[in-house]
Amino acid sequence: MYRRALYILLLAAAGCSTKREEPVHITEEALPPPTGYLLPGREKLSEYGFFNGVLSRLQPADNVFPYELNAPLFSDYAFKKRFIYLPPGTAITYHPNDVFEFPEGTIIIKHFYYPADFRKPDENIRILETRLLVLEGGTWKALPYVWNNEQTEAFLEVAGHQTHVQWTHHNGTVRSVNYAVPNMNQCKNCHLRGDKIFPIGPLARQLNKTVNGKNQLLHLASLGILKNLPPLHQVPILPDYDDPTAPLDARARAWLEVNCAHCHRPDGPAKTSGLHLTADVIRPFELGIGKPPVAAGRGSGGLAYDIVPGHPEKSILYYRITSTDPGIMMPELGKKLVHEEGVALIRDWISSLK
Amino acid sequence: MKGAVIFLTVLTLFACCSKKNDSPIVWKSIEKELQERLILAEDGETIELPEGHYMFTRTLSLDGKKRVTLRGKGMDKTILSWKNQTEGAQGLLISNGYNIKLEDFTIEDAKGDNLKVNDTNGIILRRIRSQWSGGPKTENGAYALYPVLCTRVLIEECVAMGSSDAGIYVGQSDTVVIRKNKAYWNVAGIEAENSKYVEIYNNEVYENTGGILVFDLPGLTRYGHSTKVYNNIIRDNNHPNFAQKGNIVATIPPGSGLMILATHDAEISYNEIHNNKTAGLAIVSYELVAALSEGQEDAPGAVAGVQTVNNNFRQDTLYNPYPYRIRILRNTFANKHWFPSLNNEVGKLLAWKSFLNPPDIVFDGITDPKREDPEICLGDNGKITFINLDAANNFKNLSKNPAPFECFKRNPYLDMKL
Repeated sequence: MYRRALYILLLAAAGCSTKREEPVHITEEALPPPTGYLLPGREKLSEYGFFNGVLSRLQPADNVFPYELNAPLFSDYAFKKRFIYLPPGTAITYHPNDVFEFPEGTIIIKHFYYPADFRKPDENIRILETRLLVLEGGTWKALPYVWNNEQTEAFLEVAGHQTHVQWTHHNGTVRSVNYAVPNMNQCKNCHLRGDKIFPIGPLARQLNKTVNGKNQLLHLASLGILKNLPPLHQVPILPDYDDPTAPLDARARAWLEVNCAHCHRPDGPAKTSGLHLTADVIRPFELGIGKPPVAAGRGSGGLAYDIVPGHPEKSILYYRITSTDPGIMMPELGKKLVHEEGVALIRDWISSLK
Repeated sequence: MKGAVIFLTVLTLFACCSKKNDSPIVWKSIEKELQERLILAEDGETIELPEGHYMFTRTLSLDGKKRVTLRGKGMDKTILSWKNQTEGAQGLLISNGYNIKLEDFTIEDAKGDNLKVNDTNGIILRRIRSQWSGGPKTENGAYALYPVLCTRVLIEECVAMGSSDAGIYVGQSDTVVIRKNKAYWNVAGIEAENSKYVEIYNNEVYENTGGILVFDLPGLTRYGHSTKVYNNIIRDNNHPNFAQKGNIVATIPPGSGLMILATHDAEISYNEIHNNKTAGLAIVSYELVAALSEGQEDAPGAVAGVQTVNNNFRQDTLYNPYPYRIRILRNTFANKHWFPSLNNEVGKLLAWKSFLNPPDIVFDGITDPKREDPEICLGDNGKITFINLDAANNFKNLSKNPAPFECFKRNPYLDMKL
């Protein structure tokens, strides 16, 4: 008899302690949508006039130029199309190792999209978002535009957005992700240097690439929109981390630069960590080799050092890029999925270190 | 026996059910609207948070704003939870602000830090409760309240609970006041790290692994000094250490009341330091921390102890690993425990060297060879158990005599009544 009572007692006690573990039902409501604020950009993407004809075909209008990067940031396998708008008669100024200098009024335009089948990348495309970086009054601002389901227009959403995407992957498997469009503050998370927003991609070493049989930088210079380009042999080049013919070390450092170094640099938001991952870092300690964490919390995974040469399984850096737990994973934003190819590359690289 | 069990059963059921009758929590979402308002907020604006329970899935952020206030209806009335968080490493994130004020709400259950404030000049946190609602767990986020790289920080009447690192943690900041707060069930209650001009007073810090830590660590953007810790109650900080291994707080022995590590110009006065079973107050150099970590480093898959300590600290020429100019005045010490916590190196050492009588004050005795006098002084702390480990000389001149550190004998002006 009293065994049963004990059981009930235990059950009751358990009921108490797990009270807060019940499934959470959330109702929408409460705060009215904010009104009366000045919007930081135009309400619709079409209002800028970047594209001719049907908006979703992305046919550039005058003064809008497409460009590509050698090593793009991983964003949950999204495809990207990049354009730059320059005010008529203006040009970009070359810089050997920093972001190019842009004229007032420049707008950098980046579309994120998924083809329904990655093996047919030009068919059945769904554009999710378009991010603008606008240079106005000498400072950059970042604006996220979210496309409607009809693919006829994109609207400014300062608070970002979430949407479900499904596609057939390169290997034929069906994949999906709850895709997140960043809010305006999250844009800054990556684009901030010191206390100002800067573009990340348009660097000499990223743009030094052959596109349609022509060197992209030479092409931009021949259009008269890139000044001070030195002879090509003097221009640095970042390898494509997906290119298996490039040296392992260079590929890994390229991957770390584009996926980590926008924060992990001496003037970036992750400066407090002392871990710096731009491709030009030489000191092993700065790169994380034998470096203990500073404020990693449970992100350390019980491991002692950011990188233990020869041992990816003992390296915090590897642990964090393989995680999708928001409290552990790196990068902190723009990632719901693990970049399998990138993770394999970093694993091989750490294994190769002595 | 039977009767007792049935009685207990009824009692438990009653207690449980009566609690359930408090109508179940209705969680609401104001995520999108609130984030929009924080982004569009004009300088000088006050944003009121209504009463209720609100669930968030992403980091809520306020960036680059001046004189913005975010105010709830009280820490028991406005509850913001990140229990279902799918994106972002923090709950609430304040960055690049000027004179930002947060008042009267609760932040719960973020996947990483509950509240992080960085690169902000002027931040007030007032009557904010920040906690992990499931109590102390290794899976909890690191910091409950976490200003870093800030100037002019005031944290008052807040509550921090459940952090797997430090409850109230101020890092690499300048001009900081932490007062009238409660910190319990964290690994570290309150921690000031690499910060300067810090005052920690009138706080109640209890049942953490370590109560109050004042640390200076190598390899960071700036170094700390000038800290006052006074009028605090620091008691019963004997909680098992539940920090994620790999972090420096994972090395804190349970039962540490107050710990001064490698900092200088600190004054510890008028605190009640009671029943912290390993040591009431420890003054330690980074050399000791590094030395304790040696030998553990090569252990395969070692997760215990201090292996993640930065043994490259000697390469950091701007860093001084020795504590100096530390004044310990008019604190009261008491300890009802006979044994320190024994599952760590320091505890074992103290159990051995200070048998059946864990020390009120322990000093590792490692001093800067370039400094003639470390100027560590003890004054008017009542009858204390003291131990100078002389760890620099392998405990050769270990001494329990506090007399060489008595400061009133050395500087009579310190004893002047005004």
